[in-house]
Amino acid sequence: MKFRSRHLAHGAAAFITALFLNAQAQVPAHAAGVLREATIGEPPPLDVMVTTADVATVIGRHMFETLYAWDSTYKSQPMLADSERIEDGGKTIVIKLREGVQFHNGKEMTAKDVVASMQRWGKFGSRGKLLMASATSVEATGKYEVTLKLSAPNGAWKNLLSDVNGGLAIYPEEIAAKAAGQPIEQKDYIGTGPYKFKEWRPNRYVEVEKFAGYKPRKEKSDGFAGARVANYDAIRFIPVPDVGTRVSGVQAGDYDYAEMISGDLYDTLSKDKSVQVQRTNAPIFGLFFMNSKEGILKDNYKLRRAIQTALDKSQALRVSFGSKDLWSAEGSIVPKGTPWYSTAGIDGYSPHDAKKAKELAKEAGYTGQPIRLLVSTNYQAHYDQAAVFTRQLADAGINVQMNVVDWATLIKMRGQPEQWDIFVTHHSFFPDPILFTFLNASYPGWWDTAEIKALRAELVNSSDQAARKATWDKIQALIYEQVPVMKVGDAYTYDIASPKLKGLNPNGPAFWNVSTK
Amino acid sequence: MLLTLWAASVIIFAFIHLIPGDPIYVLLGDTATPDQAERLRREMGLDDPIVVQYIRWAGHALAGDLGQSIFFQAPVTSVIADGAETSILLATLTMIWVVLIGVPIGVIAAVRQGTWLDQTLSGGAMLMASVPTFWVGLYLILIFAATLGWLPSSGYPSIFEGGLGNLRYLILPSLTLAAPNAALILRLTRASMLDVAREDYVRTARAKGIRPWQVVYKHILRNALLTVVSAFGFTFAALLSEAVVTETVFALPGIGRLVVQSILRRDYPVIQGIILVIVVIYLVINLIVDLTYRYLDPRVELK
Repeated sequence: MKFRSRHLAHGAAAFITALFLNAQAQVPAHAAGVLREATIGEPPPLDVMVTTADVATVIGRHMFETLYAWDSTYKSQPMLADSERIEDGGKTIVIKLREGVQFHNGKEMTAKDVVASMQRWGKFGSRGKLLMASATSVEATGKYEVTLKLSAPNGAWKNLLSDVNGGLAIYPEEIAAKAAGQPIEQKDYIGTGPYKFKEWRPNRYVEVEKFAGYKPRKEKSDGFAGARVANYDAIRFIPVPDVGTRVSGVQAGDYDYAEMISGDLYDTLSKDKSVQVQRTNAPIFGLFFMNSKEGILKDNYKLRRAIQTALDKSQALRVSFGSKDLWSAEGSIVPKGTPWYSTAGIDGYSPHDAKKAKELAKEAGYTGQPIRLLVSTNYQAHYDQAAVFTRQLADAGINVQMNVVDWATLIKMRGQPEQWDIFVTHHSFFPDPILFTFLNASYPGWWDTAEIKALRAELVNSSDQAARKATWDKIQALIYEQVPVMKVGDAYTYDIASPKLKGLNPNGPAFWNVSTK
Repeated sequence: MLLTLWAASVIIFAFIHLIPGDPIYVLLGDTATPDQAERLRREMGLDDPIVVQYIRWAGHALAGDLGQSIFFQAPVTSVIADGAETSILLATLTMIWVVLIGVPIGVIAAVRQGTWLDQTLSGGAMLMASVPTFWVGLYLILIFAATLGWLPSSGYPSIFEGGLGNLRYLILPSLTLAAPNAALILRLTRASMLDVAREDYVRTARAKGIRPWQVVYKHILRNALLTVVSAFGFTFAALLSEAVVTETVFALPGIGRLVVQSILRRDYPVIQGIILVIVVIYLVINLIVDLTYRYLDPRVELK
């Protein structure tokens, strides 16, 4: 008996020692060059042309490339394209491609691949119609030359070809043709990027590995443009839904980078030497969509203005984002520092005048009927903002009833115009207003008045930047008049990284050119 | 047992499809047009009547095929199998802590009934049972991972890839999960021991002059364990649901977190598959508890 228990004790001791020795043995995985990023969740299929989910974009941009890419000031620069020629008053775009670009399957990229990708994007891509709806033809006019003919000039074409999010990622011809409207299968995740798809373990991670055949551009790296150099053997994207775990994981050295940290931790983490804070330079902004198809707000612009007049947006921003470094009560739809910044109509942004709101509501014929506000709890900021606004509107005698659901339910319900009067969402920053969802007449909200129809056509069908800006000013003024959406304000999200990482991209997580000190 | 399974499958299927929400928009993202959504829904067979979808699913399930995950585009069986390793090991390790901590301390508290030691242990158990799991988890991470750096803060690589050493990833989560359950078992063991100690045969044994530790071990503990064993069954089954919070806090790729994420994504085949597996596990645990009863008390008959 004694003999056996001594053996048991020895066995247990050996096991525990092995556990800790193994702890040491695990470390080299990192030293060998695997960058570990904690993402907020799992991506849907990584077919970036079809999906616009941010998680898919962050992973996908390492594997797939676009013809152009934004630099740090959000100007489009050639990526897979080499140069372009505009003919026929902007109706013909001839794009010359870079030569010698290799796909992950070893095949060289040619004009045929670009044409097939463009055709699929135009038909099934999330943002493809914005450009391709007016395309009369797209064809390969040389091994490395693609000609796109449009029925009218499109001033946003280069911006539309610069973003991988729902954008024109270039896939090999046969893969684009085979997939058609279905999301591309995992085995077909073939792109031209500095990293190639390695493995997807559901619930565990997605891993991409360095692509040996990648030849970076000659230009200096700037934003998403220029040279992309893969310094790690692999990048592992690990879903870590709990924000506290993402933070402690970076502090403990289990992750090298963690996305989307909550505002209330910002001040503490800014002083914490075990992490470096990465505040993005591209703000997101909250949006309250009004129902233009049905219900009490359908075309009652005065009542919509009454709602906007009652609000103090700063209060909602403070509650939802915390530190003043992370938000700005900005009425211009596109933020300061971009060519689209505009002051048109912004007096109506955040008046916080309950008395005037009451008068406006009365003039609008409002007698206290319930206004149904649809909001989800999946994004805490949405809920916080809705709660603050509901309180402020009550002070102005406007009766808002919150319908709180989860995100999947909200997405379903917002497509049914009889279900809601206002719904809450947010928008990522885009350097061209044409990409904003509220300008899309088929997006829930369905803003499609005669005035916006005319202005939208003007914005799309012009390639003269000054004229487009003048049109945008008019659109923003109209937004403050007809209030199809209310902008809450600009919010700057932030990520955290190990202090050992250098070369991080302020435009968003992208791990080419990043290395460990 | 088969009837239970069938009833469970119908209820699961009906309830999940009754929740509003659409997996198609989760897949395509925010800007998908109704046209795009409709096309993909048709291609995935999600526009069929619910009865047709049930018959199709049940038919495949009988053949051991739980379908394809809408979200992962992978077989549900492999998605669940991957998560099951984490959850089973987590539950097993937790049960080991629960037994190692709960039973001996419960016995000590009962033997020293009424003393300061008993009061301290029982009070401590009350505290552990009341503190929320996520709070314990976050503090363990803060102390043992972020500050001392002894154990990993989160994640779990498979033991099939990294060997048994990867179990260290489960030490903090299993301790977190064990805390309230060990407290419950401790209190139950103590109460049960005190009940049995009042029985006549215990008094007789003491009167016969049998050594005190032998009375405790042979006469009281063995009989007291009958109640405790049935509690083990419940505890083990309850762990599956409690694991949801722990798996989220520790970013463990287990089926608890998977089911919650799948509900948020409306990934119907995965939710159905996991719940079906959990029903089977409950049934099996019940069977094991019955068998253990028989071992501990030969008077119990199994029919």
